[in-house]
Amino acid sequence: MAKSTIYAGLEIGTSKICVVIGEAKRDGTIKILGVGTAPSRGVRKGEIIDFAKVQTCLNDALVRAEEPSDVMIRTVFLGVSGGHIESMNSRGAYRLPEDQSEITEDDVEEAKEIARNIPISQDNVFLHSVTRQYIVDGQEAVRNPIGREGRILEADYHIIHGLRGRVQNAVKCVREIPLEVEDVVFTAIAAAQVVLNRDAKAQGSLMIDIGGGTADYVLYEDGMIAASGCVPLGGDHITQDIAMALQIPHQRAEDVKVTEGSCLFDDIPPDEMLRIEDDNGFVLGEIERAFLNEVIYLRTREILEQVKVRCQEHIGRLAAGVYLTGGTSLMKGIDVVAQDVFERKVTRAGSAPVSGVTATFENPQFSAPIGLIRYAQILDQEKPFMSPLKRLGRKMADLLSVIIL
Amino acid sequence: MVEYHRNPTTELATSSPLKTCIVGIGGAGGSVLDRITMDRAVDATLVTMHTDIRVLSHSMSPVKIQLGVELMRGIGAGGDPELGREAAMYSREQIRNAIQGHDTIFICVGLGGGTGSGAAPVVAEIAKSTGALVFLTATMPFSFEGKRRLTQAEDSLKQLQNRTDALILFENNRMGELSLPKDGIQKAFVQADQLIAQSLRAVSTIVTTPGLVKLGIDDLTSALSTSNGRCLFGFGEARGQNRGSEALKRALKSPLIDQGRLLHQTKTLLVHIAGGDSLTLVEVDSIMKQLGKNVPDQTHILFGVAVDPKLGESISVTLISSLGLTQLNTLAAAAPPSEMLPLKERAMPSMLSAVAAKPATQLKNVPAAEPMDMLFGNDQFSLPEPQAAVVEQPDMFEQESFASEPEPVVNAEEIPFEEEIFEEVAETEVAEQISHQIPEPEPEPVKPIVRPRIEDFIPNSTARSNTNLTAVVARAPTPTVEEEAPFAPPLNSVAAKKPLVSTQEEQIAFRFGGDEDRGRFKNTEPALAGGEDLDVPTWMRLKRKLKK
Repeated sequence: MAKSTIYAGLEIGTSKICVVIGEAKRDGTIKILGVGTAPSRGVRKGEIIDFAKVQTCLNDALVRAEEPSDVMIRTVFLGVSGGHIESMNSRGAYRLPEDQSEITEDDVEEAKEIARNIPISQDNVFLHSVTRQYIVDGQEAVRNPIGREGRILEADYHIIHGLRGRVQNAVKCVREIPLEVEDVVFTAIAAAQVVLNRDAKAQGSLMIDIGGGTADYVLYEDGMIAASGCVPLGGDHITQDIAMALQIPHQRAEDVKVTEGSCLFDDIPPDEMLRIEDDNGFVLGEIERAFLNEVIYLRTREILEQVKVRCQEHIGRLAAGVYLTGGTSLMKGIDVVAQDVFERKVTRAGSAPVSGVTATFENPQFSAPIGLIRYAQILDQEKPFMSPLKRLGRKMADLLSVIIL
Repeated sequence: MVEYHRNPTTELATSSPLKTCIVGIGGAGGSVLDRITMDRAVDATLVTMHTDIRVLSHSMSPVKIQLGVELMRGIGAGGDPELGREAAMYSREQIRNAIQGHDTIFICVGLGGGTGSGAAPVVAEIAKSTGALVFLTATMPFSFEGKRRLTQAEDSLKQLQNRTDALILFENNRMGELSLPKDGIQKAFVQADQLIAQSLRAVSTIVTTPGLVKLGIDDLTSALSTSNGRCLFGFGEARGQNRGSEALKRALKSPLIDQGRLLHQTKTLLVHIAGGDSLTLVEVDSIMKQLGKNVPDQTHILFGVAVDPKLGESISVTLISSLGLTQLNTLAAAAPPSEMLPLKERAMPSMLSAVAAKPATQLKNVPAAEPMDMLFGNDQFSLPEPQAAVVEQPDMFEQESFASEPEPVVNAEEIPFEEEIFEEVAETEVAEQISHQIPEPEPEPVKPIVRPRIEDFIPNSTARSNTNLTAVVARAPTPTVEEEAPFAPPLNSVAAKKPLVSTQEEQIAFRFGGDEDRGRFKNTEPALAGGEDLDVPTWMRLKRKLKK
């Protein structure tokens, strides 16, 4: 394929629904053509609870993305998240037949099959199975084993799975728009594609995408994905904590969080007050700024600690440190808290290597949807990842589009 | 039509306490028995039998029988059922002495190995010859244990099916689903043992404890009446808010019932609800209503309620039913998916209202000591209809009497338990059984004649490391969370995500914060970590901790 391809990434988040249209060029760069966001309703903790509301918001976002880019979207890469998503590493060993010493593609497939044959609950579905590395006769870190001589081939896999029902519901919700879902991607995996560069992955890094409802994380070690998952806590929880602590409506709490909120309360004099106003500008009351910040601090710290607990065993090997992204990573002082929790270098990052509509790609809020486009691009480059059926489908679609044109 | 079936005579008869005996054979049986011994849940004589003296010496049950002392010399059967059988033959007098004089004998065994597979048929034979009601609780080996063990298990099962009154069969493969994939293997086994122990406890309590609406052995046998069937068993216990539907949900979650999907095919379903003094009529009513959505109209529901102060604040729901192997087989193999769907979607107004109306009248009826045969007609329920009772009653007797009838023959001949005769007796027994059963007003006359063959049934399960129960499910459309909407839990309830969040954990969570503390997350799945509900504001939890 000589021409560049246009992809659309869709993330149905807890706070916003975001559609990003991007052009993946042959040289590996991405040009963002359009971004459409709409505040999200009917999503809690990354999971859709109200189809109708979500679909209305999704239509808004879609129109906003399509207009400037002048592209009609038919298929999207859908980012999913939620507390039900889990991951594990699995290794499958395959011994080559006696009369064969060179590893062929079939052997690799066989090893993959064994690695993927892990006991997940029947209600779960595989989202991703990412090859971490191949091991030939105990020799680690083999990228491409085909053609090598060996006796035993092992495939190391990182497998991400989630509840079938919930994943299908998200897909169903999008299909009713109607949009075809090209692939379902765990948002953290997508975001990591644009937040972490090759060096960061190689040195070992942890990316945490703290969004509205969930904190999704991916941990890389030696360039390989080592852990990933989702903590069902996010900015929404911070807002709720504020709302309940100050006894103010949720929306007001959200405004206070965004405009005034900070995780740092040590240096704030105890008598510094903050005025809370309602929509008409009437003063509802005054609160201590230190109190507000402490509430935020406690929750933020807890979110980070929950992530830490889940990848405790890898924390010591993060040379490149922790990367924070997602809307909540804009919170003032969150880097200090993260530094405190992880005792590693902390970087706040948006997505880096893209061009196009400005002001979006730097914003950490859009890491995941932009990452979806990058993911689509990678998927396209690494052809072996695609099943023959999909490849055929793609070819057919291409043919059809030519005919239509 | 839901038929209500009571038998006043048996109620009188059971007034003297029933004596129960639980026998564990082999390694698996022994460990279940250990669990029962530790729980002290059942009032029964516990007997453990094993060929291996070392295993036996670790057993906790009060009565231990070493099988084939002189033959085996205290060494296990080494996976050879022939040896196990021989060993049991040598010790048959001992076995008879231990289990004689009981009304019900439960045999717990793990099939596939040597001692269990070999000795169990012998013990069952002896148990039947004592005139007791024999229940068998057996586990089938894991598929990874290999074809050989599976064949041994099947062979043994075939022999056992003719020698027991009811068979509660657990597939180890399916038991794996009890625990989360991450759980330790020990936990998985403990949970499997627990489920088996639970089923034993439930069956024995149903039969023995008095209840407001009592269920007796007769009900149990009719629920398990398909002579070659597999038992579907579900048990759930819950406390706190919404405990009724929680308990039912847990009962339906039992892997043996497969989320209630297998109930669609049952003809007879035994439901037993027990609770402490706080059990209310409304709760019973709502449980039965919800259950009604899981069973088709034609199902004969045998319903029992008991108040047991021991249960305190909790409610327990027990579901027992059986499916014939033929039913399982044909359903798994042939039936198009559409066949099951209408059942699911069909509204069942007559039954629902009948069930709704039922408990009230029953409670009224109990003190009056009326004959309890009831028949729920269309929307209103008529008074006892003698015809139905007459049809059913002799049937029961016939079955019970003949349960012990053929045994004396076996006894009198005092066969040297040779293999051929063993088989022959089994065959004639079956023939008799069939001839007895034919006059029964069975809706499916084909079933008793065509004897289900295990061979048909097992390959399904081995080929794809799944049981054929899974095949039944696989055929049905995938996750039915939405489809079963009226009954299914809300989209993001705990049930879907964590099949085994322990009660304890849940309760901790509830204690930490009621719904009001969860704010806008109150209807979502709680994010539990370290016994805390993370949806409750951090500061709130911290404050509570500091207060303590």
